[in-house]
Amino acid sequence: MQLRSRRDKLQFSALLLPGILVFALFTIYPIVKLFGMSFLRWDLGSMFDKSFAGFDNYKTVLTDKTFRIAFENTLIYTFVTVPGQMILGLFAAVLIHSIPRFRVTFRVIYYIPVITSWVIVSLVFRYIFNTEGMLNYLLTNVLHLTAKNVAWLNTRWGGMTVVMLLGIWKGVGWNLVVFLAALQSVPNELYEAAEVDGCGSVAKFFSITLPSIKPTILFALVMLTIGGFNVFTSIKMITDGKPMHQTETVLTWMYYKAFSAGQFGYAAALSFIVAVTLMILAFLQFKAMKNQNE
Amino acid sequence: MRKRHTTLANAGKYLFLLIGGAVSVMPMIYMLSTSLRPNGALYEFPPHFFPRLSEITFENYQYIFTQEKFYLNFLNSVLVAIITIVLAAFVSTALAYCLARFRFPGRNLLFALVIGMMIIPGTTLIIPQYQLATFFKLTNRLAGLIPFYVAWVIPFSTFMIKSYIEGIPKEYDEAVYADGGSVFTVFFRIILPLSSPAIASVSIFNFLTSWEEFTWAMTVINDNAKRTLPIAISGFFGQHQFTQWGYVFAMSMASLVPVLIVFICCQKFFVSGLQAGGLKG
Amino acid sequence: MKKLSLKKMLALFLLAAMVLGALTACSNEKAPDTSPSQQTQPAEAGKTGAATPEEPITINFWHHYSAQSAENETLMNVLIPKFEEENPGYKVNAVSHEWGDLHDKILISAQSNTLPDVARLDIAWVPEFQKMGILVPLDAEMSDFAEVTANLLPSAMSTGFVKGNYYAMALNTNTKILFYNEEALKAAGLSVPKTSEDFVKAIIALSGTNENGQQVWGLNEPALAGWNVLPYIWTNGGSITNEDYTKATGYVNSPETVAAVQTLVDLYANGQFSGFNSGDIPMTDGFGTGRYMMLLEGPWKTAELAGAYPDFAYGTSEMPAGKAGSISVLGGEDIAMFNTANKEGAWKFMKFMTSPYAEEEMAKCGQIPVNQEALASDTVKNAPFAPFLQAITTAQARPPVASWSEIDNELTTAMTDMIVNGADVQKTLDELAAKIDALLAE
Repeated sequence: MQLRSRRDKLQFSALLLPGILVFALFTIYPIVKLFGMSFLRWDLGSMFDKSFAGFDNYKTVLTDKTFRIAFENTLIYTFVTVPGQMILGLFAAVLIHSIPRFRVTFRVIYYIPVITSWVIVSLVFRYIFNTEGMLNYLLTNVLHLTAKNVAWLNTRWGGMTVVMLLGIWKGVGWNLVVFLAALQSVPNELYEAAEVDGCGSVAKFFSITLPSIKPTILFALVMLTIGGFNVFTSIKMITDGKPMHQTETVLTWMYYKAFSAGQFGYAAALSFIVAVTLMILAFLQFKAMKNQNE
Repeated sequence: MRKRHTTLANAGKYLFLLIGGAVSVMPMIYMLSTSLRPNGALYEFPPHFFPRLSEITFENYQYIFTQEKFYLNFLNSVLVAIITIVLAAFVSTALAYCLARFRFPGRNLLFALVIGMMIIPGTTLIIPQYQLATFFKLTNRLAGLIPFYVAWVIPFSTFMIKSYIEGIPKEYDEAVYADGGSVFTVFFRIILPLSSPAIASVSIFNFLTSWEEFTWAMTVINDNAKRTLPIAISGFFGQHQFTQWGYVFAMSMASLVPVLIVFICCQKFFVSGLQAGGLKG
Repeated sequence: MKKLSLKKMLALFLLAAMVLGALTACSNEKAPDTSPSQQTQPAEAGKTGAATPEEPITINFWHHYSAQSAENETLMNVLIPKFEEENPGYKVNAVSHEWGDLHDKILISAQSNTLPDVARLDIAWVPEFQKMGILVPLDAEMSDFAEVTANLLPSAMSTGFVKGNYYAMALNTNTKILFYNEEALKAAGLSVPKTSEDFVKAIIALSGTNENGQQVWGLNEPALAGWNVLPYIWTNGGSITNEDYTKATGYVNSPETVAAVQTLVDLYANGQFSGFNSGDIPMTDGFGTGRYMMLLEGPWKTAELAGAYPDFAYGTSEMPAGKAGSISVLGGEDIAMFNTANKEGAWKFMKFMTSPYAEEEMAKCGQIPVNQEALASDTVKNAPFAPFLQAITTAQARPPVASWSEIDNELTTAMTDMIVNGADVQKTLDELAAKIDALLAE
């Protein structure tokens, strides 16, 4: 569309500018600022007297044992929860798509965890997985699966398991709705043709359904990967990094370093590393998505 | 024969779905049940999933609802959420319209930025954003939450609305221009009304984002009276070595119910919005 | 679009900025007016106050009295109204934070110049904040400082003395003593432990399972920070650093410290010591429901137990004595002023908070006064403070060094590693000693 008159140009600018302004002020500027901060020696002792530190902050971050643990935890969280919720969500979507009644009801029920805030569900999970909580009572005293209460929240892998279960549980509904919408748009003729060829439902799923919803799968993959790297509130509320910072994720560790330890230079470098990692990851996924669409 | 087979298969499907549904809502029911019993009964043995009829009490709700603070926190959350979605809807629809319909220098760069911002977790920028909030004297004020929430939700909103606008035939625009209409005419008469389903569904997501946002609010807000609900709820948790779970969950229920109502009333929009984004990628 | 002139661009930019500004401004106005203070910046508050004397000056006061506690009730409903009545023209905006959050909030706010006027600080934080340069040297700036503090306990006042000046005034003091489950001790046929050996024996004897088959622990600690583990280390003759707080090697890894930590490690390994993991029962609930049998706690616990578990029978006694005697950890809070404060108002409020009246009111909810007049009052004499006051005379303070928060973090990590993960005690403490040495040298 070419803008002809002056009036149109003005009006166009009036529509464009608020967006650009918000971007420039609240995202672009902070990114530039963050980049600058990551090269400063800036902790509590040097708060009012910052000096240039070169790549020192980056070196410190990359050689920090806790950062490595936090990074590992984030990757594991992402690699477990993303496929976990996608598979369960797709499975539920296929089931709901194929039933004659109560589709909307199920969709609503499965979506409730999605709309419940992270703070609330984290507290509920913490309560359920408490060493003296309901789940342990069921496992130990009712089902006798364990001899004594499992200390879920006391170890790195126990804590991570709880947080990952929460991530999957909360995400299934979103995937379900996204995939259900995609399934509804797959033309019925394709299935009819396959039926004529004598395909069973499993074969139909893999030969027709999956390829048809590939763009949606990739869309979900990108969005969920971003979400996985964003994990913060659940960790903060459930384990708070305990024990010994072994359940930190990159963002909780960044927050701790900045706002509890006052090491702003370190935290800025860490933020930047996370942002770049995620950019690369998402770029690769977007690229894959584009190739698929062509 | 075939029919019976289908019925049986359907029964299996319903069973699976029921189990899944039960797992989905169980934690909320447990939360409701805990909020209905006295605080002292929480470490009883054996624990009960449902409260006994005789022990059901509304004392936790009474406590929450007699606290002036609760209403303030609730009001804060509502205000912040509403202003956020209105601002975000306007800014992102305008931006999406520009991106979808016009060629202008830097357009590709701008779109790349939109995508880029979707990717970078908001929390990574929290340090410079905090300094920005300080510079504008926005710390410890509700106004310190809104512009940042708007900035966070704009990329995704713009992305979604843009793909929706691209589905609106360009002929509509051209007809308006042919009649002597301007860019504004197209925007307000064609684009805004026609893309309202996408705006609505995006706004619901933005509402949720703002309603549940925790990290930024925790960092920026100090005063009890200015806290939003998530901060108020987490403040109840873990006070001096013992947690009054009854209060925590009563307050959580009070914060969940409005969202549930909005969701059940508007659940169509949730789906249509996701459809637009999901299908077009 | 391509050829928009610079002027027009600028005009548009301004227009957009105005629209945005108007929108944010209107959102400002909509913020609830019922909040106690609309002023965020202490400095700002001072200016507006000076310009229009009718408008009250707001004093922002941050503290860590828990939001649902009796202390907070007293502060909000008794002390602040009284102060505002006595000092017309001043309003106090009190903000409650969790203990750890308060420390972090002060760090954040220092970065952004949004500190409150006055804060109640854990005595262990004063050196750190002094080093950051955000506290006001009270004796240098307040002409009546000597008069005001004449009545405050010198030992408590010393916690505010850093590098030649007083940066804080003592507000209240405390220490931890032994709380035990009376019935359980009686049922086990044990007397109240007075020595470390008896203490460990009692912990072991009281651990096990209850009639429901649930595990019961003899000893509870809600965390593994210095505040928690130091009494065990000190009573056994160990320590964190030398007396000058310059060296940790040879102290935090001394045989005495190692032995004290080893005892805790063994108790945990045998399921007799618990409470510091995320999934554990919270301290008060565990004690009140008979799952934790003994713990070390401060004077506030009495009020807390009376509120949450009024029927629960427990006793108190001094920290069981080891080789080095009975040494508990000295706690307490100071009240300090930040250098961005409205100094006149802040000082008025600080004087009020340390006055006999305020100290006595706070004593009613378990805060041990440091004002000698309040200490001599009937309220204090009738309060169950006696064992605490006794214990304070032998209690030790955590090292008053600027890097204490960081040392404490390292200490907690090392303790967790040894107790929970079973890391070798000597080796871990050797490493810890090197880390603390480096922090002390900074």
